[in-house]
Amino acid sequence: MCKLLMIGIFAVVLPALALPLPDEPPNQETGPTNVNTRLIVESVQVSGRDSVKLSNPLRSDLDQVAGQKFDPPLLERLRDRIKQELRVPEVRMHVVKGGMPDHVVVNFEIGAEREKHFALDLSRFLYHSKQGWSGQGHATVNIHENAFSFGMVSDGDRLSERFAGIQAGFERRHVGTDRLHLRFDFSSFHEQWNQATLLQAAPDEIYRTRTHFSPMATVVILEPLEASFGVDFARYRLSLPVAKTESSNAVVTTLRYHQRWGSAGVHQGTPGGEHDIRASYSLRAGTHVLESDPVFVRHQTEARYRLRRGHQDLAVGFLAGRISGRAPLFERFVLGNAETLRGWNKFSLDPLGASHVAHGSIDYSYRGFLVFYDTGAVWDRPEDREQKQSLGVGCKKSGFQLAVAFPVKSGTVTPVFYAGMNF
Amino acid sequence: MRERTIKPWWVIAAFFSGLAFAMWAEELILTTHESRLEFSAPRVHFLVGKPLERLRNASEVPFAVKVTLWSGTRNHLLREVQTRFVVSYDLWEERFAVTNLVTPRRTARHLTSIAAEAWCLKEMSTDVTGIRADEPLWARLDIRAEEVKEAGLPFGRGSISDSGINLTPLIEIFSRPANATQPHWIEETGPVTLDELRRGRRG
Repeated sequence: MCKLLMIGIFAVVLPALALPLPDEPPNQETGPTNVNTRLIVESVQVSGRDSVKLSNPLRSDLDQVAGQKFDPPLLERLRDRIKQELRVPEVRMHVVKGGMPDHVVVNFEIGAEREKHFALDLSRFLYHSKQGWSGQGHATVNIHENAFSFGMVSDGDRLSERFAGIQAGFERRHVGTDRLHLRFDFSSFHEQWNQATLLQAAPDEIYRTRTHFSPMATVVILEPLEASFGVDFARYRLSLPVAKTESSNAVVTTLRYHQRWGSAGVHQGTPGGEHDIRASYSLRAGTHVLESDPVFVRHQTEARYRLRRGHQDLAVGFLAGRISGRAPLFERFVLGNAETLRGWNKFSLDPLGASHVAHGSIDYSYRGFLVFYDTGAVWDRPEDREQKQSLGVGCKKSGFQLAVAFPVKSGTVTPVFYAGMNF
Repeated sequence: MRERTIKPWWVIAAFFSGLAFAMWAEELILTTHESRLEFSAPRVHFLVGKPLERLRNASEVPFAVKVTLWSGTRNHLLREVQTRFVVSYDLWEERFAVTNLVTPRRTARHLTSIAAEAWCLKEMSTDVTGIRADEPLWARLDIRAEEVKEAGLPFGRGSISDSGINLTPLIEIFSRPANATQPHWIEETGPVTLDELRRGRRG
């Protein structure tokens, strides 16, 4: 009886196992719709102009794809990162059979060059509940190695004044060598002043308009360290009963360092994370040699470290600066805006800006939820130095940010709201 | 004088040639199977050109397929059936796979291009219960290959970077004529009745 049962089972099961499953009727399923997701990526290549300039983190992420299953959305994200990083208009992805069965080779081909490429960018946009709207946009035309740009700006956030006007620039990224860049900037602004600033400023400190012309050369000393040298010729018309124009012509020297390493982890569980460190030191010296009316020396140093791992993002920033001599108001240091001492009102801290500054901040975000802490001080005389602190929460995603910040102080606390992009 | 006669095999040959030509000339063919109206279009090939180029580059290509039926008069819309299919091409097997995205999702694999096209149209069959057998019907088949999503989003991936929002894609979208580059195929047939279809006349 048992034998008969076994024979019966085998008689039914074996033919069923031996017969191939028909293609139709079709399967009901919820899996991937691209049949190639079953294939394995054998290797990832990047070809074309500027492919050697890819950053180490991006190269590392590209290398990690080899040996993984073919994942089109992931590869498209990597393609977009190549486009962003190299600033090229097109990167094509080619997928072909690999050397081994069921393997494919992915090649990112960097397409058309920058020639005659036109770009329109909204580079900064901000609403601050104390200072109103600020925005900056520019159009760029790239012809061969030259970039021509024209933009408009209205900014009530960065300085103690609101300045609005036009900016134009020319940049040549390759002057005999990739290590030398040339840049000429021109800008012309009209100013608006807050009542608190007008009350504290001397009559000859307030100006109605200012124009800048700034030729600058940048030398890549040793990747990733570069130095810029140039001059900033500024002319500003004072708001005196008798129209008077002054000049602030300064020698400008800037040292910059920018390094990235590690990987943010396109695959979950990647240890280490992506590290990004930027540091700069800038010296501006207004001197009679350049027929400058105010004579001053301005030092500023900034550093920012950022660690991204999975959905976590940590940024630590530091700023310090000092001005000796008598600098025009647009050179002075301001805290209490959308980037520093968030939650404080810059006009209550120092409506004229200050000659000394020290500031630090910590931002931490997880899945777009942001918390931050700022601390710093601005002062002209050592006895005026008073450390301020602020806290805030908000959300941050793809450069967009919406947050509310509170000054840490006794008495009435008025929160500051701000929202915008790239500030 | 010898009378000239037409040989019967010439008549048969002419009949079959005419039938074959008529079938060949038809772009959209309607047939009935029990209570369902089925569609086929052996001369319409949409797995060609740019969509095929994308498929052979391991991308999947979505197709929007719409069947429209009119009854009684050409102006009386009876029914519209719309479905999205996603087609992909296995680089190693060199065969197509098609998924009908209408829930529950159905997938057919290991198909040639012609079989994949036929499978999509077969999936568009519609119930014709309640339609009078002598009511004239018109049918239209509309197939569109959908563009790559990235190109359609003004602030899509790649537009936002550390240096701000790149507005150039937005300008490009408003600069080009709508759907000018979207591959699409439209075929129509009718009038035809269900009676005629059941007797064997193709729509």
